[in-house]
Amino acid sequence: MARISPRLIKDAYSISPLLPYFLRANPNISLAKQELKWVQEELPQSEWRKAARSRHNLYPLQYILGSQPFGSLDIICKEKVLIPRPETEEWVLRLCSVLKESAQNLSIVDACTGTGCIALLAKHELKDSAKVAAFDISTDAYQLSMLNRDAHKLDVNIVKADLSEPAQLMHICSSFDLILSNPPYIPLSDYKLPVTLNGIEKSVRKFEPKSALVGEMEFYDLLVQNLVRPFGASGFVFELGYREQAEFIRKQFCEEEWGSGILKDYSGNVRCSIGWKRGSNLDILERLCDEVL
Amino acid sequence: MLVRSIYRGIRSEFGRNVFGYGCRSSRGISTNALGINMDELPKLHPSLLKRAETLRVELEDLETKITSGTFDQETNVKFSTISSILEEFAKYENYRENVASIIEMLNEENGNDQEIIDDCVSELKEYIPKLISATSKVQVKLIPKVSNYDKPTIMELRPGVGGSEAQIFTNDLLSMYINFANTKRWGWEIISKTEGTLGGLTEAILSVNEPGSYDVLRHESGVHRVQRVPATETKGRTHTSTAAVVVLPKLSEGNESSLLEDERQFAPGEIRIDTMRSGGKGGQHVNTTDSAVRLTHIPTGIQVQQQDERSQPRNKAKAFSILRSRLAALDREREIAEQKSLRTTQVSTTDRSDKIRTYNYSQNRVTDHRCGFSLHDLEGCLSGEKLEDIIEAVEQEEVRERIESL
Ligand SMILES: C[S@@+](CC[C@H](N)C(=O)[O-])C[C@H]1O[C@@H](n2cnc3c(N)ncnc32)[C@H](O)[C@@H]1O
Repeated sequence: MARISPRLIKDAYSISPLLPYFLRANPNISLAKQELKWVQEELPQSEWRKAARSRHNLYPLQYILGSQPFGSLDIICKEKVLIPRPETEEWVLRLCSVLKESAQNLSIVDACTGTGCIALLAKHELKDSAKVAAFDISTDAYQLSMLNRDAHKLDVNIVKADLSEPAQLMHICSSFDLILSNPPYIPLSDYKLPVTLNGIEKSVRKFEPKSALVGEMEFYDLLVQNLVRPFGASGFVFELGYREQAEFIRKQFCEEEWGSGILKDYSGNVRCSIGWKRGSNLDILERLCDEVL
Repeated sequence: MLVRSIYRGIRSEFGRNVFGYGCRSSRGISTNALGINMDELPKLHPSLLKRAETLRVELEDLETKITSGTFDQETNVKFSTISSILEEFAKYENYRENVASIIEMLNEENGNDQEIIDDCVSELKEYIPKLISATSKVQVKLIPKVSNYDKPTIMELRPGVGGSEAQIFTNDLLSMYINFANTKRWGWEIISKTEGTLGGLTEAILSVNEPGSYDVLRHESGVHRVQRVPATETKGRTHTSTAAVVVLPKLSEGNESSLLEDERQFAPGEIRIDTMRSGGKGGQHVNTTDSAVRLTHIPTGIQVQQQDERSQPRNKAKAFSILRSRLAALDREREIAEQKSLRTTQVSTTDRSDKIRTYNYSQNRVTDHRCGFSLHDLEGCLSGEKLEDIIEAVEQEEVRERIESL
């Protein structure tokens, strides 16, 4: 967020009296215009002013509009549940296009599903070639993901469960081939820092749930110990934010049995850890890797 | 001298371009008392006649194919297209024979029997205009189609000189094309639109989804000029502003399902995709709404950016579709340039910087500079109802030029 000059406010005002309210949340005026346009397209006129004020307060646009596109799905967004990110959308679409070529009867689970976006898009893309389940510990997430599932009429089994409670996971399914997850991955120290120091955006800190964001290695440990191992999975894709997390995950597997790599996002940042059991039908996951570990 | 005057009358009424290939001036050798001969009447260029002949053979082949039981969609469509062309051609031949036999009669008569001459004159009065219109119709059909003629259309509109007035004019043109599509009952959608100040546009991309609309709308490519008194002008002065229209064939839907196919059109490394990077570490750390995607076609340097959609993949899909269209247009420009360099006479119509049309408000007039045609109904043009009259005049002019260069 750059400093906003009086000149910029004047320019914005001459385009629309509502536009200045969008300047704080946006790095430039053209993006601010874009946001105002979306507000005007998607909300009744009576709500524009309120929307503009909320946005001035850095309230997320997706909560204002009530949705975020994710692949070809429109995912309903509500407070207390993390808004799906474009980086997540990117890897899920890439994953699906690889799986589409050769996937047969895959059983997939999306751990820490939030809005349900990963599980729902995977089901939408893979259709009958995959059986998809998802779970989250939070009641808000559970309810919202159910709402999204019903809105898109997708056959995904959604459960409220805690990743750290193996007993709760047992009810979902007897085995999974592929484990997907975007667990909380921001260390508490970074959670407190501003974006310019590799921390997080003010809008994220102010309005998105902390319990969806803060985590370090523990979630990856749980994903491996409570899902990959006991459910006999032969592949996984875990979103992450730090190379150390990818290296931590790598160390959980013996190199003879498991191949592993890193996927980078469109900005060139390390974004996912990918693993596949050598010789299994999921060794196609190697194609997603920008770097083999 | 009555026939000559009818003839001259027709000539001046329809303009010289309707007379088709090889029309001589009326000072040609006269073989009858009234000074008219067949060489002066509209006739098709030999290469178009040859094409009609080729089509006739092709139609026969298709006929045998169909009677022997082949009944696929493609054959059927081809069959009906060719038969409709040949129908027009038959009309043309018919009228030409009619006129020829009347002239022959006149020749034999040599001006003695006034009653016969009168009959011939009234028949010529009827048939010459019919021959003229049949010739121009069949010419349009026989002349080889431009590539991608059967495709839907992408129209890109941008203001040129004239500041905010040019932006407003850009918006007026956009409405005109939407109105035109509506009167033709063609589906359309706005791919992207960037608003400027005072209700103007700094850019708009319109998709007209009707297959074949490209062959009509491609004539709109070029710089459009408006002369009027802007609403903000206090002294009542007329301003001149411009907007540029680029018309492209639409080669793909530009949605998530066409994206894969569009991406496959390019070799790895041929396209650079830039997504607006979210600041810092991205992912959970930030929540960006910036979904803009920019494509760079490395071999040509062409760049396409899309940001209207909240969805990044949708912006990417649109950008790919537009890029393919622009590259197709580039191919066509190259094709034309090659053809031109083979020719001695230069065709002046396709120069990008040329103003193709003027919209003059005070005179209620729209003039197309490529064919000299003026429509004295500006409102009718902008409402989309009369635009086709102008486009048809431009089309006729193009046919004439292309025939000259055959
Ligand atoms: C970063 S969000 C990801 C949401 C969604 N998958 C996405 O990509 O947008 C992490 C989610 O993990 C959930 N979560 C946190 N701890 C959990 C636990 N112990 N068991 C299951 N889910 C948990 C949070 O409720 C939150 O919805």
